[in-house]
Amino acid sequence: MRLAGATLYALRIPFVEGFSHSATDRRWSDSVVVRVRDEAGVEGFGEGTPRPYVTGETVETMLDHLERALWPRVAGRELPPAGHLAGLAAFLPATHLAGALAPNAALAALELAILDCALRAVDLPMAAVLPPVRRRVVYSGVVTAGPIERAVQHARRMRAIGLSHVKIKVGFDDDVARVTAVREALGPEVSLRLDANGAWTLERAVDVLNALAPLGIASVEQPLPRGPVEDLARLRSATPVPVMVDESLVTEADAEALIEAKAADLFNVRVSKCGGLARSLAIAARAAAMGIGVQVGSQVGETAILAAAGRHLAAALPDVAFVEGSFGRLLLVEDVAVESVSFGHRGEAPLLTGPGLGIRVVEERLRRRAVSVKNLDTEG
Amino acid sequence: MDTTRIRELFERQVEAFTASREFAALESGRADYDAFVENVARAHLKSPQLVAFLYALAPPAAAPTLLGNLLEELGLEADSERPHPALLEDLLRAAGLGHRLPTIQAEAEDDIRRVVTDPLLYGTLREVGLAALTEIVAFEFMLSRVSGRIGRALAAHRGLPAPALEWFTHHSEVDVRHAEQGLADLGAYCAYYAFADDEALTIVEMTLRENVFARRYFRDFVAGAR
Repeated sequence: MRLAGATLYALRIPFVEGFSHSATDRRWSDSVVVRVRDEAGVEGFGEGTPRPYVTGETVETMLDHLERALWPRVAGRELPPAGHLAGLAAFLPATHLAGALAPNAALAALELAILDCALRAVDLPMAAVLPPVRRRVVYSGVVTAGPIERAVQHARRMRAIGLSHVKIKVGFDDDVARVTAVREALGPEVSLRLDANGAWTLERAVDVLNALAPLGIASVEQPLPRGPVEDLARLRSATPVPVMVDESLVTEADAEALIEAKAADLFNVRVSKCGGLARSLAIAARAAAMGIGVQVGSQVGETAILAAAGRHLAAALPDVAFVEGSFGRLLLVEDVAVESVSFGHRGEAPLLTGPGLGIRVVEERLRRRAVSVKNLDTEG
Repeated sequence: MDTTRIRELFERQVEAFTASREFAALESGRADYDAFVENVARAHLKSPQLVAFLYALAPPAAAPTLLGNLLEELGLEADSERPHPALLEDLLRAAGLGHRLPTIQAEAEDDIRRVVTDPLLYGTLREVGLAALTEIVAFEFMLSRVSGRIGRALAAHRGLPAPALEWFTHHSEVDVRHAEQGLADLGAYCAYYAFADDEALTIVEMTLRENVFARRYFRDFVAGAR
């Protein structure tokens, strides 16, 4: 079957409560959903979350890139074989977007939609191409930025729902007091990670991390801004806290440079940031081969579509240090699928076993939550 | 348990609800009244089932009042009373929305289905019950203070007659005693199931982390928007 049409939805779904970190403050999702359909009318849905401070994409540039660069490359083409996930990277070759590190959110959205469509066309679940190695996925909680009292309140909530892994946003003047208060609220058994979103200098990172190391910090994510990988390597040697890279890891070339420089203990692999499942798998496999740990991360405000993709990735990787995302209606006032993707007590969530990505997207909700809708056909 | 802090949280929620631009629109003739009436009906059509669930979990000190609430919801407390869902159906019909009733019924049923099938955040019914009781009592608290204003707005700007607004009259300001009893029930629940104050407050705060009234009555409500 050939790809016959696509629809692009730029979504704006309000959050139940605001979410902030050192790089941004967010009250609603800013994601783009792609719906593709084949000649038989089978549909597939994908999603990307453009972030100027991550891949350099915005909603506008992502929509434009999908319409002008990516869709014309696949419109009217035969769907790739459903069972050949790695082939998707070749089906959707890397493209260039001026002003961006890589158009990975756009690539991810289209890749997921095509994969979902190809699997649904033959009534296969994601497990057919990405066999799970575990029966459930365990998610981390995230303590957002804001006053320390609010961070402590969030930490208590995490404890109330039994989460065993928690990440706290840092990168502020009061980092040591903030993390100390959160550790006290969580208790000693919970694994605690930090995420600075690139807010520290090397000197500040060394100071803060060495002060906090006695509290038992499982890792620090993106302590320095994206930049020379040698700085991260220097930090690694100056602190006992394992270093995780996020904004520094967007492309496979980034992964190679980080490995070469021995600049990271852990990679944060996010489906949207890394350009889809096939590219995320490639980066995760490379990390595993080099003894680097992997976190399956997420973008704040992802809908059920990216959450489902992340769930499948986390379920399939042999070794996953931490998993984030799947907040669903814990964060969004409305999600886009019939099925709930939210994690439950202890952060646990089951596998999604239905055809394709395993969720049924409600198109009417997309339309209701969209700030723009654009139909694309094979005529371009 | 001292419920002062819970009362403060309820008061803050009511204040945010009535200060929202959506509520201002409701009182000034600029709202989508049909959507509002549908949302209210959807939010409360299945209340008897929720109260029955809470009655099943009720500690001895709160069981009599929760049973009273349940009988009232079912219209069984006095001969002259009608079931509360029937009052909401009257409201819909009077607003010319009787044809929408099957859809709204289905939506309300789906809301229950989702609550039951979504993964539970808490490890035991003890915490789930506290979250559910918090939300029910929060609505009683808000309605005892605001339902009169809502009823007057619907009468003035949607032209609904008094008999159609009985559901609001029933929950109006005269029902403050009911809301106070609800707060006492919350305290009794926390005491009976041995919640530490911090633990109970965390669950109450989590339940109220979004404005539950605006979320149900104005479905596109964005917190903080003006």
